[in-house]
Order: sequence, then structure tokens, then C-alpha cells
Amino acid sequence: MLSTIFGSLFTMNFLTTVIRLSTPLFFAAIASFIAASTGMVNIAIESIMTFGALAGILGSYITGSAWTGLLIGLVIGVCTALLIALFSMRLGASPILIGIALNTFANSLAIFFLYAITGEKGSSASLATKTLSSVNIPVIKDIPVIGQLISGQYILTYVCWVILILLFILIYKTPLGMRMRACGLNAGAARTAGINVEKLQILSLIMSGLFAALGGMYLSLNYVHIYSSNMVAGQGWMGIAANGIASGNYGVLLISALIFAVFRAVSLIFNSSAIFPVDLVAAIPYFAVFFFVTIVSVIKYYRVKTGHVEEQ
Amino acid sequence: MTEKKAKNVNLSITNPKVFEAIKMILSILIALAITFVVLCLISDNPVRAIVTILTGPLTKRRYFGSVVESFIPYAFSGLAAGVLFKSGAFNLGGEGIFIISGVTVAAVACNAITTSHMLHPVLCILAAAVTGGILMIIPSFLKAKFGTNEMVVSLMLNSIYSGIAMFLIRKYLLTTTTSTIGSRDYLATARIGYIYEPLRVSPCLILLIAATIIMYLIMFKTRLGYQIRLAGTNPKFAEYSGMSAFKLAIITAMIAGVLCGIGAACQLLTQTAFYQPDRSLTGIGFSGMLLSMLGRNNPIGIVIAAFMIKYLEQGTGVLYFVDRAVPAEIVAIVEGIVILLISSQYFLRGFREKRLLKEGLEKDA
Repeated sequence: MLSTIFGSLFTMNFLTTVIRLSTPLFFAAIASFIAASTGMVNIAIESIMTFGALAGILGSYITGSAWTGLLIGLVIGVCTALLIALFSMRLGASPILIGIALNTFANSLAIFFLYAITGEKGSSASLATKTLSSVNIPVIKDIPVIGQLISGQYILTYVCWVILILLFILIYKTPLGMRMRACGLNAGAARTAGINVEKLQILSLIMSGLFAALGGMYLSLNYVHIYSSNMVAGQGWMGIAANGIASGNYGVLLISALIFAVFRAVSLIFNSSAIFPVDLVAAIPYFAVFFFVTIVSVIKYYRVKTGHVEEQ
Repeated sequence: MTEKKAKNVNLSITNPKVFEAIKMILSILIALAITFVVLCLISDNPVRAIVTILTGPLTKRRYFGSVVESFIPYAFSGLAAGVLFKSGAFNLGGEGIFIISGVTVAAVACNAITTSHMLHPVLCILAAAVTGGILMIIPSFLKAKFGTNEMVVSLMLNSIYSGIAMFLIRKYLLTTTTSTIGSRDYLATARIGYIYEPLRVSPCLILLIAATIIMYLIMFKTRLGYQIRLAGTNPKFAEYSGMSAFKLAIITAMIAGVLCGIGAACQLLTQTAFYQPDRSLTGIGFSGMLLSMLGRNNPIGIVIAAFMIKYLEQGTGVLYFVDRAVPAEIVAIVEGIVILLISSQYFLRGFREKRLLKEGLEKDA
């Protein structure tokens, strides 16, 4: 019995599950990363994902098209990001407190809007909503193994992969990206060098909002096909954790997000096998994040202490 | 002459305390105004809706009693978040601490360790307080020692604790009478009764009042409280003046955990007959953080905020009998707007500065 579980860890099915579960984590991770790159703190990713997921579904319900739903979700994501920018940069509120408040409200507000607009409570399952489909890529789908992995994924997974590449180019290969990183490293120096720090910070928050909203809409429009209360379930925080582990390193960021996705997939497989207690299995991904975040900080601490790395 | 002058200064917006109060009242009014606009959009009778929300709990003794009873665990949670936030620690672990302390409460309450009606609830509360006090330390310890991101760690622990709580209840305390996932019924000796039944005043209320006073005294009258506040406003200065940031972080987390544990015990032993980890205590820990922001991290402010929010929720509950278009979650809108406005340093500041300038000029002239 146990061997069948470990056998199933190395099947194609498992790898495709990892890819499916990794998409929202990638979106959350880059949302946290892009905000941090200019020195902004966006811990409201969880709530933007919730708002995006709901707005996408409601948009598709009202307009009858998943694509306009997607557009509405993106607008809501940007609006939330601008709200954070307004309160933290113009009105002098702590971005961490604003983030905690937004995250705590997100579910209540989502339930409220879902109920006020459609009369449903907690889930959009009974609504006639449109969703986005998965895509088969012509030539690639016929290649064995790789074809199965790369073709047939959801549209937003491909969008995610394109964004991952574009974001790398933007941050590391363009003058704009260099300026953004300069703001993050030393805002004062960047300002002296003639960079409009506030403008870039707002830009990075807007991008952060867009990515987080896409992550949320991947869940509702692509993966689960409905909005249900609490569906984000800590994935926004896993993105923030990945960014914390990476501390500015793009490669480590993506690998961390992927590792978290692997643990989520493992949790799913164990859950269906009913060998281990289901309640503990459900906590595996969270424990993995807890473990990695702690270990990385302990290693950093001892490296600083023994003088390998200078304290920042 | 001087007396009159002092009185004048106290009532002017230039006094920080008066300014805070004005800001708070204005924020609440703005929030209520926006709520009214939302009610106009979703309800056929918005005037009745807002009047019912604001006065509903007063119409029946039972409704008001429900507020008196239900706000207690939220107030404890708020006090816990308040002491953490005040010390500058963003440990968001209250939610998980509530849920895992609930397991200890259930374990003690379901077993006949004593036959005394007085002692059994006390033992439950103590067990929960010890559990909370110890487990809340984990994120704060990691942060203070290794610089770990305490927000991420504490949130992950919330999910881990709720998994462990479900596991423990399912494995050791599972009820045999119903099909729900929950503990057995508590023994009758463990339940906390009412002191004044019509308004549902229980010993928990006295416990809360005592805890609030103690927290107020600790925060504003002791050296520990001064250190906590200093660490929150200026951690570098606190460190250079010789305080142990590590020790302070641990003590603060322990106080917060104890408060969460007591809150969990109060909730379970007055309002439930058995413990369901995925239902009985969920959301209280997170609400506490919002209440702490509403009360500006001041123990008395937090308890008032908890009462007000529960009052409004009860109001929407009363409204639900007559107007099904308005969900109870509308309270979240009021709460959200007030929090955003009062945590904005610059909201109304321009107005205050103009007054300060004017007064200064008058004084010169």
C-alpha cells in the first residue's frame, strides 16, 4: 500500500498535478517579489487573490464571458493595489497593518459581495458562470512525456510562464528593472540619481496587484471553476514565504514556489490514500513552508554570525 | 485665568487626545454613511435597515444578553493582539492558539478530574492558558533569535494547529452520538453558569474586566509595559538603552498566548456543549487583530471596540429576521473603513496643523 503511494509520486499524473498547483504559487511569489523589488511591502496578496477570484467569477456571471470576467478581476486587483498605495504612501498608514486588515476582511467582504450581487452564500457553485479552458499546443502535444506535461495545461498557466520570462527580462535586463531594484536597495540614492522613486513603487504595487489577481482567477476561472469561500487557503502567504526565502534572488524564488507546490501535491496524494490521518496530511504544505522559512533564517543567522555574510 | 486657558486647550483639536477622539468619531460616521449607501443599493428599505442595525440589540433583553456574552472571547483575542502589536511584533498566531487551546479545554472538560463545580472550569481555563502561553512563543522566539519572518511562520502555524486539533479530537475525544467531527459533551461540572441570567452575565465577564484592568496597568504603569511600548515605537533605542529585546519578545508572546487561551476557554465553556475544531473558535483570533487596530492597541479601547463590533453584528442579526437582503458580513465594511481611516496618520492632520498654526499666531499676537 505504502509502495503504491510512493510509486504514484513519480508518475506523469503527479507531475501534471505539481504544474497545476504551482501556477497560483508562482503568481503569488512574483506578486510579492515585484513589490519587494522597489522596497514596498505587499502582504495583502492573499486578499487580492480572493478579490480577483471572486471578481473574475462574478464578471463572467454578469457579462456571460470568461474573458471580460478576467478583465474585471484584473481591474479589481489593480484597484486593491492602488488602495494600499493610497493609504500607505499618501495617508501614512503602516502597509503591514493595512495588509493584515485587508487579509482579515477579504473573506467577509467576498461573502458580502457574492450574496449582495447573486444571493448565493459562500460559493458560486449553483451559478451559470463561464470559465476558461485548457489548451492543446499542436506540435508539442505529440511529443511523448514533454508533450503530456507542456500541452493541455490551463490558459492561465501559459500566461504565468510567459509572465515569468518577461518579468525576468524586465527586472534584470532593462533600465526600468534596474531602476526598480535601485529603489529597493537604497531609495535615497535612487532619488539622488534622479529616479522618480514613488512612481516606480506605485508601478510595482500595480504589477503586484495584477499578478495576485491572476493567481486568484487561475483558481476560480481555470482550476476549480467556481468561487468558494476560503479557496485561496494560504497560497498568497506561501508566495510571500517564497519571496522571503529568496531575498531578491529570482531563481530561488521560483524554486521555492515549486517546492511548495510539490508538497501540496504530496498532500493531495496522501489525502486520497487514507493511510495517514487526513487532518495531519492537510497540514503538510503549511508545515513544509514553516520548515523551509525557519531553516533558511537559521542558516542566514549563523552565516552572519560566523562572518560569512555581512549583515544587511 | 490660567484655569480657563487650560480648559480651552483641552477641548481644542490641537490636543492629541481630543484629536484622536474626533478622528475616531468622524471615521465611524464616514463608515456608517458609506454603509448606508451600500444599504440603499441592496435593501428595499435602507432607513429601516440602518435603524435596526443600530438599535436592534436594545429591543429585546435576550439580544443584548447575546452581545454581552459573545463579545468576551473577541475582547480577549483583541487584548492579545494589542500587546503583540504594541511591542512591534507582527505575530498573527492568535487564530491557531485559540483552536489548539480549545483542544486542551475539551480534554480537561470531558474528563472527571474533579467533582467540584468551582474547580473544574478553573482547571480548564488554566490548562488553556498554559497551552496558549507556551505555543504562542514559537513565532516570536524564531523572530527574536533568528530573524525569521514571524507573519509567515505564525500563519502557517495557524493552519498546522487546526490540522493537529482536528486530528487530536478525532482520535481521542470523538463524539459517538452525532456524525459531526467534534468532541464528546463536556461534563456538567465544567460548564460555566450565569451570575445574572437575563443579561447572560457570566464569571467570564468579570474575568475579562480583571484582565483588561491588569493589561492596562501593565502597559501604562509598569516598567515592563514601558519597555513593550518603547520596543514598539523605537526598537533601536530600546536595544541601545540596555533592554533585552529577546526576553521582551518572549514575555509579550506569553502574555498574548495566555489571553488567547483564557478567551478560548470562556467561549467554549459558556457557549458550546462540545468542541468542534473547525467551527467553535474559528475567526476569533483574526478578528482580534482588527479589534486591536480599532482600539489603537489600548486595552480599554480594544474591549470597547469588541463590544461595538459584536453589537453591530447582533444588529444585523436582528435585521436578518425582517430583511434577508442584508448579510451579516456588512459589519466588515464598517470595520474596514474605520480601521483604514484611523490607522492613517495624515487623515485630518492638515486640518489640525492649520489650527495649531492659527493658535500659535494668535499667541504671538
